[in-house]
Parts: sequence; structure tokens; C-alpha cells
Amino acid sequence: MTARQFRKVLIANRGEIAVRIIRACREMGVGTVAVYSEADRLSLHVRHADEAYPVGPPPSRDSYLRIDRMLEAARKAGADAIHPGYGFLAESAAFARACEEAGIAFIGPGSATIALMGEKTSARRAAVAARLPVVPGTLEPLADDPALAREGERIGFPLMLKAAAGGGGKGLRLVARPEELEEAAARARSEAKSAFGDDRVYLERALVRPRHVEIQVLADAHGNAVHLFERECSIQRRHQKVIEESPSPFLTPELRERMGSLAVALVRRVGYVNAGTLEFLVDQERNPYFLEMNTRLQVEHPVTEMVTGEDLVKLQIRIAQGEKLPFRQEDLVQRGHAIECRVYAEDPDQGFLPSPGRILALRPPGGPGVRDDSGVYEGYEVPIHYDPLISKLVVYGYSRRDAILRMRRAVREYRVLGIKTTLPFFERVLHHPAFLSGDFDTSFVEQVFAEADRKRERPLEVAVAAAALAAFRERRFARLAGNPGSPSRSAWWECGLREGLRGGAGAP
Amino acid sequence: MIFDAAAGGRTIRVEVRGQDGRYTVVLDGRPLEVDARETGRHFLSILVGGRSYEAGIEKRPGGYTVVLTDDVVAVDLVEAARVAPARKVSGPARIAAPMPGKLVRVLVSPGQDVQAGQGLVVVEAMKMENEIKAPRAGRVKDVPAREGQAVDAGALLVVVE
Repeated sequence: MTARQFRKVLIANRGEIAVRIIRACREMGVGTVAVYSEADRLSLHVRHADEAYPVGPPPSRDSYLRIDRMLEAARKAGADAIHPGYGFLAESAAFARACEEAGIAFIGPGSATIALMGEKTSARRAAVAARLPVVPGTLEPLADDPALAREGERIGFPLMLKAAAGGGGKGLRLVARPEELEEAAARARSEAKSAFGDDRVYLERALVRPRHVEIQVLADAHGNAVHLFERECSIQRRHQKVIEESPSPFLTPELRERMGSLAVALVRRVGYVNAGTLEFLVDQERNPYFLEMNTRLQVEHPVTEMVTGEDLVKLQIRIAQGEKLPFRQEDLVQRGHAIECRVYAEDPDQGFLPSPGRILALRPPGGPGVRDDSGVYEGYEVPIHYDPLISKLVVYGYSRRDAILRMRRAVREYRVLGIKTTLPFFERVLHHPAFLSGDFDTSFVEQVFAEADRKRERPLEVAVAAAALAAFRERRFARLAGNPGSPSRSAWWECGLREGLRGGAGAP
Repeated sequence: MIFDAAAGGRTIRVEVRGQDGRYTVVLDGRPLEVDARETGRHFLSILVGGRSYEAGIEKRPGGYTVVLTDDVVAVDLVEAARVAPARKVSGPARIAAPMPGKLVRVLVSPGQDVQAGQGLVVVEAMKMENEIKAPRAGRVKDVPAREGQAVDAGALLVVVE
């Protein structure tokens, strides 16, 4: 494979990850092409890109999941490569194949590898062949409810019901009892169908209080493969990660080394090229079990970038251009500590219900060691159609403690009004003793934290005072406005202030 | 200005007075000297006894949502029914609903003598019950509203003569 330079990359995605990829391209001097659905004309990625083309109506199956429209936009723009981001078509073998056939470079692994690893049961079979330990369960997708019931019985409850094409927690259900299986399967199938266009499911034993640890890998087309250490992803809600960090406070150097070697072994065995992530569950005895491989960039890739100093998106592009990896395993060092908090447009006090709507005010944090990978801006309306992730707040510190203190500081600075977000929730998690000690597992949010959080002392008096002050000022201004002849200097001053208030606080 | 506030299952009476950014906020009888200034749209910078708070303020029906660093608190707020000064002792006093809501209780009946400040009816609005008081002493002439009835702001509730 001879190296070439991309002139223009189409980003087949939206939101914060599209913005992230555009930034990498721009820093490399590569042209950027955005695509957008009718709901995303005003999205940040459209504003950041050099070019932007519409790809259809708001529902993702009519826009961001349309392979034909992506290729059409790429041809129209003259893009020579496509970056799929994560989600949508990122793990679609059909999309990668269509790109290959159209002579457009797909920034990711080859379509055959995606098909092999993207389908979770064949990935499990490949892992078994590469001598990786896997979570006990089925090695094939299950065709119907009787097969599910039969296998469920064999594996034993509780178990995890998973979409064969899954990822990002979609199409995933914890099933505690046999009688819940059918209903869970129906919901998982429908979720998987809408998220991935594939409704096949399989079963795995649910481990007791596992840790979720993943290994980042990179491989070029010249047979070089490395791992970039782990990310700890055990802070989850609804099986979706909300806080990630690297290094994991749970891994010993030996276990890190072992999991890294296992990951590279699988990468070599399947001839994997480009960036990928192997997800592992680690049980209480620190036994790792391969869970699945994500054949794409991960949401939480920035924590790896912070501790390794490498830019994963640029490396993805360079690998896709046919370049060799610029380092060997021994050149890579995991330095310091990084934490990511996913800022979701969700209401943590209402079971993390999505909270779409207009962002009235936005104050991102700044200062040393803080990175805000955002996909929104003040005045932007978070659409109801897509994932509610609006930003990823990432910090770097010399130690875990240092990083936690910095994250607390950054979360305090970060203010989003108009929609509910996970930010106040993070502020409280970052003070929880279990999080501070590093002694937590995937049940942390829903069990350990939720209980303490319900009993928390709330800053009611401050809130009431603030609300009363706002009401007082508003009524005073309204009265003054009704009496424009008022000669008092302070009345004019307050009327001036009122202009500012009227712009937003008064809007419904 | 006096408000009845409800937040997080508590009700707090809060009075605010002052101007030009300097206010006295009385929370359930405890006065606080507060310096409060707008910092751009939707934010108040609040200094209380040297402590600094930055409160995000979102208006919503019935009150405000206050966004603090570690919590988001919905505050329902109504201006407490004011006891009107007894300016005119002559003529019937027509007591109207100060806000739209539901008439949950009628505390008096026609022909009854009432004292100034005595509760006449209770109107529920914005999740809070508000007692509407007699503006002056007199005799209840009429109670046109019925318990359980929805009332608009300005609807006639009680006539005292």
C-alpha cells in the first residue's frame, strides 16, 4: 500500500464527533465536508466544515444511515475519504464496502474486518480462536424466542441480552428472570433495528459487579499493531458510559500488560487495520473477559489522547492514507491521569430522561488541563432525533487525585441553561467516597450513588433566594417600564438591565 | 415584596427589598444582606456574607429553575397575598383571586363577621396553597365561588361589607 494524501474528507456523522474530526482534518490541512439532516442545518459541525450537504429528513434512517446519500455527497464534493465517526454507519460493513467499491477511502478497518468484528457473536468466535477469555454465553445469534428461552436456561440468569450488531448500550438489556426474557428481547430487537438496522440478539452471562475496562489499539496496513493502554468505563447509567478515565484505578501493571497483549493478539489474528477498541469485563478476582470489539473511534478516545499525547483521529487518517504507525509499542507511555465526563442533555433527577431543547446560556470551562469537545453553542436547539451527548469534558492531571480535583473545578465552571444536563450530577459523583477511592463497578450509578444522592442535602435556601431576587427584579423592572417618565438615575440603570433580562429570561 | 416559595418539598416565605444590586432577603424571618447582580443573560452573581454564588436562572411557568453548580432546583414562587391597607372603611370590599388557580377551601359563609387579616378562602396555584385574607373587618356579604372550582386571576371570591 503506497501512502497518499487525502485532499478532502467527508465526515459521515454529526454533533461533537463530527466537530472533533473536522478539527483534526483542519490541523492536517485536509478539506472537510459535513453532511446534515434537515434537523441539523444549524448544527455546529455544519458551521465548522468547509462544505456541507443535506442528506435527508431528521430520522437517522432517512439521513445519517443512508449509504447512498453519503456517497452521493462525497462524489458531489469530490471527497477522497470518508470518516464515519462513531454510531450511525461507523460499524456498517456495507458502508465500508460501498466506499471501497466507489474508490473512496473508508477511514477505519476493511469491510471484511468490520463484518467479522462488528457482528458480536463472530467477534466472540474470533476471540476464542485467538485464545482470549470470553464471557460465557452464546457464540451465535439466536433466531427466535424459543431459542432464546432455551439458551437462557442453559447459561443461567441473570444474563445480558445483547444486539448482535450492538454498541453504545443500545439493544442491551439485563434480564434477571426467565419470564422477563421475551419482553426484553422485543424491546432490544426494536431498539437494535432502529439503531443499527439489524435486530439479531444473543446472550451472555451477567457477571457480578464487573468493571468495564477497554483497550485502545492501533494497527497499520504494514503489519504493525500496538495498544494504547486502557480506559476505565465503569461509571455507567443504562449500560452507557458517563465517566471514563485512564489509567484504570483497578488495573495492576501486570493485568494492564496482559490485557494489552491479548488485544494485540486479536488484532494480529484478524488482520485488523486502523483504530479499534477491545472491551473487557474484569470480575472481582481481576479476571478479564473479552466482551466485544468496536471497530471505530470511541466516544471516550480523548482520555487516551491525554495520557499518551497522541491524536487518535489524525493517526486514523494517516493509517487510512497508507502510512506506517509512527511509533512502536515501547515508545508509548501512559503518563498522568485523564478523566472524561460526558455532558448529556438529560435530567439526572428524572432517571436520565432526555432533555432536548434550546440552550439559553452556555459557559464552557477553561484554564489549565481542560478540554471541552462540544457539539453545541448558545442558542442551539438540541434536537430530539439523536443521541443526547452535547459535549465531552476532559481533564488531565498528574495523578488521579489531581485529575479529579481539576474535573470538579471544571464542572463548577461549566454552566448550561435551558436544558437539563448531567453536569450537576457529575459534581456530586466527583465527591462520592467510592468514586474517590476508585472502588466502584458498573453498578455504581444506579445502586451505590443513587441511594446516597436521593438523601443529599439540597441547596434550597440559596435557590429560593436566587429565585426571589429574580422575581423581585423582574417585577420592579416591569413597574418601571410602565412608568417611563421616572427621573431617577437608578431607574434608568435598572431599565437598561431589564433589556438584557427581557431577551431570554422572559421567553417561555 | 413578599413571596411564598416552594422548593424541594419545603415552603419558605421570602421577602425581598432594596435596589441597585443591594438587597435584603428575609428567608423565613432570617434577614440576609445580599449583593446580587446580573452577569449576562440568565445569571445572577450573588454575594452573601462574602460567599459567592453564581445562579443560573431559567424562567418557567409558576416560578424559576435555579441552576447551581451541584444541583438544579425548581422553585415555585407566588407573591404572597398582600393585606391591603384599610384605606376606605366604607363600601363593600370585593376580594378577587390574585392568580389563576383552584379554589380548594372556603373558610367563611355569608352573614359571618370577619376580622381584618382573617382567612377567607384558600386558592391553590403553582402547587402551593395560598390563603386569601380579609382586607378589613366586616361581614361576609357573598361568596360567589365554590370549593373545587377553577378560578381565573381577578375572579370574584368573597364580598365583605
